[in-house]
Amino acid sequence: MKLRTKLTLFNTLSKLVIATIFVLLLPTLIKNINQHYNDSRLLKQKVKLLQIIKTQGIKDYAEASYYTPLKEDYVSIDLDTTAENLDTIKNEKRILQGDTIEYRILSHTFKADNKKYLLEIATSLDAINGTTRPFQNIAFALLVGMILLTIIADQLYSNFVLTPLGQIIKTKLIGHKFPNFGSYEKVQTSTSDFEYLDISIHKMIKTIENTFQKEREFISNASHELMTPISILQSKIENMFEQEDIADELKTRLLEMQRILNRLKSITKTLLLISQIENEQFLKEDSVPLRELLQEIYDEISIRLQGKNIHYSVDVPENLVLIHVNKFLMFNMVFNLINNAIKYNRENGEIKVAAMRESDCWTVKIIDTGIGIAAEDLPFIFNRFKKLRASLKQDSFGLGLPIVQSIAAFHEIRVEVQSEKDHGSVFKLILPDSLIKI
Amino acid sequence: MNVLVIEDEKGLADELEIFLNNYNYICEVCFNGASASEKIAVNLYDFILIDLGLPDYDGLDLLREAKKNNPEAICIILTARAEVYDRIKGLDLGADDYLPKPFSLLELQSRMQAITRRKFGLKQNLVDLGGFVINLTDRVISYGTSEISTITRKEFDLIAYMLLHKNRTLTRSQLSEHIWGSIVNDDYDSNYIDAHIKNIRKKLNAFAPPDWLETVRGLGYKIKVNT
Repeated sequence: MKLRTKLTLFNTLSKLVIATIFVLLLPTLIKNINQHYNDSRLLKQKVKLLQIIKTQGIKDYAEASYYTPLKEDYVSIDLDTTAENLDTIKNEKRILQGDTIEYRILSHTFKADNKKYLLEIATSLDAINGTTRPFQNIAFALLVGMILLTIIADQLYSNFVLTPLGQIIKTKLIGHKFPNFGSYEKVQTSTSDFEYLDISIHKMIKTIENTFQKEREFISNASHELMTPISILQSKIENMFEQEDIADELKTRLLEMQRILNRLKSITKTLLLISQIENEQFLKEDSVPLRELLQEIYDEISIRLQGKNIHYSVDVPENLVLIHVNKFLMFNMVFNLINNAIKYNRENGEIKVAAMRESDCWTVKIIDTGIGIAAEDLPFIFNRFKKLRASLKQDSFGLGLPIVQSIAAFHEIRVEVQSEKDHGSVFKLILPDSLIKI
Repeated sequence: MNVLVIEDEKGLADELEIFLNNYNYICEVCFNGASASEKIAVNLYDFILIDLGLPDYDGLDLLREAKKNNPEAICIILTARAEVYDRIKGLDLGADDYLPKPFSLLELQSRMQAITRRKFGLKQNLVDLGGFVINLTDRVISYGTSEISTITRKEFDLIAYMLLHKNRTLTRSQLSEHIWGSIVNDDYDSNYIDAHIKNIRKKLNAFAPPDWLETVRGLGYKIKVNT
């Protein structure tokens, strides 16, 4: 999820939670305020009344009650015959002229003229709560308005403040194909964190670029420096081989030299190829039907199948075409896989190449009935120059699978290996849809 | 045929000269771009072999000059810089072929012959070998009136390569390099050439014994042609 989306979501959610809590609390809150206000009013009235009774005497007021026509409040003073003294404020029901009404009642007992009186001052709960609802409504409307305003403000500001980050991601990270970066363009921002991020990314890119450049130069130079002496040696051996005055015994030794030189040449060529692939020095502009590619490989390799009398079969849809690939590389990748399947197969064994649609992806499987790979060796089979014990007797130097892996990675193909010791291996190539036309 | 070899590595230039002289080419060698540039301006050549990595000259500039002054010459680029970019650029400028180092001298000669054939459109290139007729243009081999269709492309490649270097022993390494040279794999010592030769012999034997295809004990194979 994007940072901006996350921030917006969090802002909105947190405000909603706060608002909900507030709305839930609002009635109780307002009720409490009202009650508190009302109680203090009742107390004031009590003090006032007692003051009046003290100055004017109880006579005029005893045994009387006063109420407004709508019965919203009343005051009564009665003789109290009970023993206890009251001084409370609580909610109670009273029947006034046949109506049962709930009141907030202040009850107070006092003595006047040696008699005990009970004073009640009351306000009906309806009158008190009458103001609660409009209060609540106003508060609610205000709240919603303010929340909307802050959400919009937050959104606008986070948009504004995060724009440079978006730009950094868009221009510096997405769409840049490693290791080919464009030129540096400063992202405009007043946020120092982003400035720092931008500069840091730029520095890292520069470092990577320099390293790659150096590696490219090294490979180019090393290849030149290695290939030229190999070339000279090879020519010298070839010319010597042709000289008539050279004895056959010497020729055999020249042949030996030629073979060793060939080995050196193969290793150098393979390492170069891998580095060139990793430096993306190949184009991916070819289209080739998979069947055709396999046929070409078969032409090259049938002699090796014959040698071990291996049964070879292909199960590939005729109209399956590989697109946006480098044909030379694809050829070498599949060649190496099939070549391995032959090398590590048994006499009269079997090799099957099958392409199929498997859970949303096209896969090409190379299935053999060979010696298999031990589970503990599986993680290392793609390492350069790693020779497994099983392959030691083979004339190879452990670069076949590294070639496969770098070509696959170059084309964004995933390679999966399943293998059972002594039963065979399955190399599965998982091809992205962008490489397939059908 | 006149060949100009432009190669700054003296060791390699010498071997190229010895080899080409053996094949009856008249060879001149330059070790740097400046002297090559002079020679190109003055003399006419049939072949110009250019090493791209010269110390004093950009090989591609030299190629441009060669194409200007010697438009008829066949230019072959020899280089250790095997980048695709150079390859495309070189061929765009009119190079006829491109041979990455290290290459076999036999391969160079076979390329030179192939281009000559292409360029001058030599008519039917037929060779008679003890009753077998090898048509190098159409790439078929026949005996009498019947075409031997069982011979595969690879097998024909081998026959044609040995025929081009007739009477010369070709080692298994040389033959392998010719037919599998462009494949990068991690086998360095495969003896599949023997299997191929065995197959070729078997297929031809159905018509007549191919005595001209000789095994040179311990060394390799050759096609023997009496001249």
